[in-house]
Amino acid sequence: MSGSDNMLDLRLPSGLFFVLTGAMLTGMGLLDAGNRAPLQQANVNLDAGLVMLVFGGFLLLLAWRHRS
Amino acid sequence: MAAEKTRDHGRRLTSGRKVPVWITGLAFLSANMGAQEVIGMCASGAKYGIMTAHFYWIGAVPAMIFVGVFMMPFYYGSRARSVPEYLKLRFDEKTRGLNAITFAVMTIFSSGISMYALGLLFQLVLGWKFTACVLLSAGIVLTYTYLSGLTGAIYNEVLQFFLIILGFSPLAIMAVAKTGGWAGMAARVPDVMTHTWTHIAKASDNPMGVEAFGLVAGLGFVLSFGYWCTDFLVIQCALASDSMLGARRTPLIAAFPKMMIPFIVIVPGIAAIALMKMGVGYTLPPQPGGGYDYTQTMTTLMAQFYPAGMLGVGVTALMASFMSGMAGNVAAFNTVFTFDIYQSYIRPHQPDTHYFKVGRITTVVGILLSICAAYLAASYNNIMDILQLVFSFVNAPLFATFLLGMFWRRATPNGAFFGLISGTCAAAFTWLLTIAEGKGGLIAVLHTFPSTMAQNFWIAIFAWSSCFVVTIIVSLVTKPRPESELTGLVYGLTVLPTDEGVSWYRRPGVLAIIVAVVLVVLNVWFR
Repeated sequence: MSGSDNMLDLRLPSGLFFVLTGAMLTGMGLLDAGNRAPLQQANVNLDAGLVMLVFGGFLLLLAWRHRS
Repeated sequence: MAAEKTRDHGRRLTSGRKVPVWITGLAFLSANMGAQEVIGMCASGAKYGIMTAHFYWIGAVPAMIFVGVFMMPFYYGSRARSVPEYLKLRFDEKTRGLNAITFAVMTIFSSGISMYALGLLFQLVLGWKFTACVLLSAGIVLTYTYLSGLTGAIYNEVLQFFLIILGFSPLAIMAVAKTGGWAGMAARVPDVMTHTWTHIAKASDNPMGVEAFGLVAGLGFVLSFGYWCTDFLVIQCALASDSMLGARRTPLIAAFPKMMIPFIVIVPGIAAIALMKMGVGYTLPPQPGGGYDYTQTMTTLMAQFYPAGMLGVGVTALMASFMSGMAGNVAAFNTVFTFDIYQSYIRPHQPDTHYFKVGRITTVVGILLSICAAYLAASYNNIMDILQLVFSFVNAPLFATFLLGMFWRRATPNGAFFGLISGTCAAAFTWLLTIAEGKGGLIAVLHTFPSTMAQNFWIAIFAWSSCFVVTIIVSLVTKPRPESELTGLVYGLTVLPTDEGVSWYRRPGVLAIIVAVVLVVLNVWFR
């Protein structure tokens, strides 16, 4: 597999990366729902985790559509 | 080993030439958008305010339009694989050699600055002494370089780009919201921090200490065009494109997201100043010797707005980006020294094993030199200030060489060589004869600049002008290369690409106009 082919396949590993990171953050946001930063009232882990999940899912969707 | 991989990677990357334009566009953007940019731009946001956005709105983006529309036909058409290689094809061996040396120096500074910032980050997370943290960074980079080389560097950078956007935009939103939205933030900071053009009639009116000419000529024209048009780590991404059209569209497509980056990296810095005035318990750490250590703006904000979890993601994103940035620079130093300097001028015609050994030693030497550069960076309260100083020495004169090389067929090899030397000397003398925030002025102090950034802009202006003028004068009295050798390299001797048969929305000219219109709107909106 040449470098260029790898580059074409960027969607798959990036998608997996963000789905994993997003899932971990979402999990933390749900399990430790009272966890707050000094200057912030929102549940940042949950919100950011969900955004990453959606973005990762979108990349995986692109990768899947590219394959089929 | 790493050097061979880099070279191999570069060859593979540009030889196939079938990478789609959305990837090369992202790579073009990511090649420069690392932790150094995030930390440095946020620091500049806190130190200079929204005027820092000029780095994007009169700097990077117009330069990206220029490189896409006007310069790319010669880069891509010349079939050179790198910027030094173009110099060799257009001028001669000695010009390439000189460029190789200055480029090697630049990679050392760049990796040293990253090492310093990474050391600060370790200090924050681990609580160790600074020296221990810098040595830890150096050790990690040494391992990283030996293990991985640069294979897949672009690939890595695109992933990190996504991570930086997703990891840092929430911080910008939360910090501004905390200060009461844009209006609330603007009300708490001096008016000059939220206006890009209103306060630049006189240098004394703004914290950057520049007036309109220094800003537009120094930052907009010389430094930004110099960086975006001649930095081969960036240009290389466009050269990997599948066609001339793709290569020309690469910087234009990258320009759209680039215009929006200030909102993620600069605005939080301004919010940090507003937060300090709100008395909510947030303050920037002091710099030894007075003032604040602006370099720590982004990390201290993260600690206030991100809970355990998201904070880890942010810190990891920065660390990963610093490490790959440093490894990239050390590997580039290794390649340039081993092949473009050692093999070309010091000891040619040795067996491969010899260069392999030299490469290994070079890596270690490169890291030791980076440690020295890291301590130099520590004396600046904003890493962006020292980074732009390096660019004003290296990229500013080089940009004059490229302009003349690409658009004036009479420019001669000797003209380019002596022009470059004079440009670098002009930069050195400007720095040695002027002083700003205690930096420079080692020979005498003829002028005092209000900020190191203003000093950088004027160093760039003098370096560029000197190179431009000397190249023209020397070219007029020396022999040019025969025109038959310059086909495809110079304007007038190159068949320019036409956009016939290309649908209107894919034409570089149309894209450039759209980018320019959005750019004008941004400049007027935040004037």
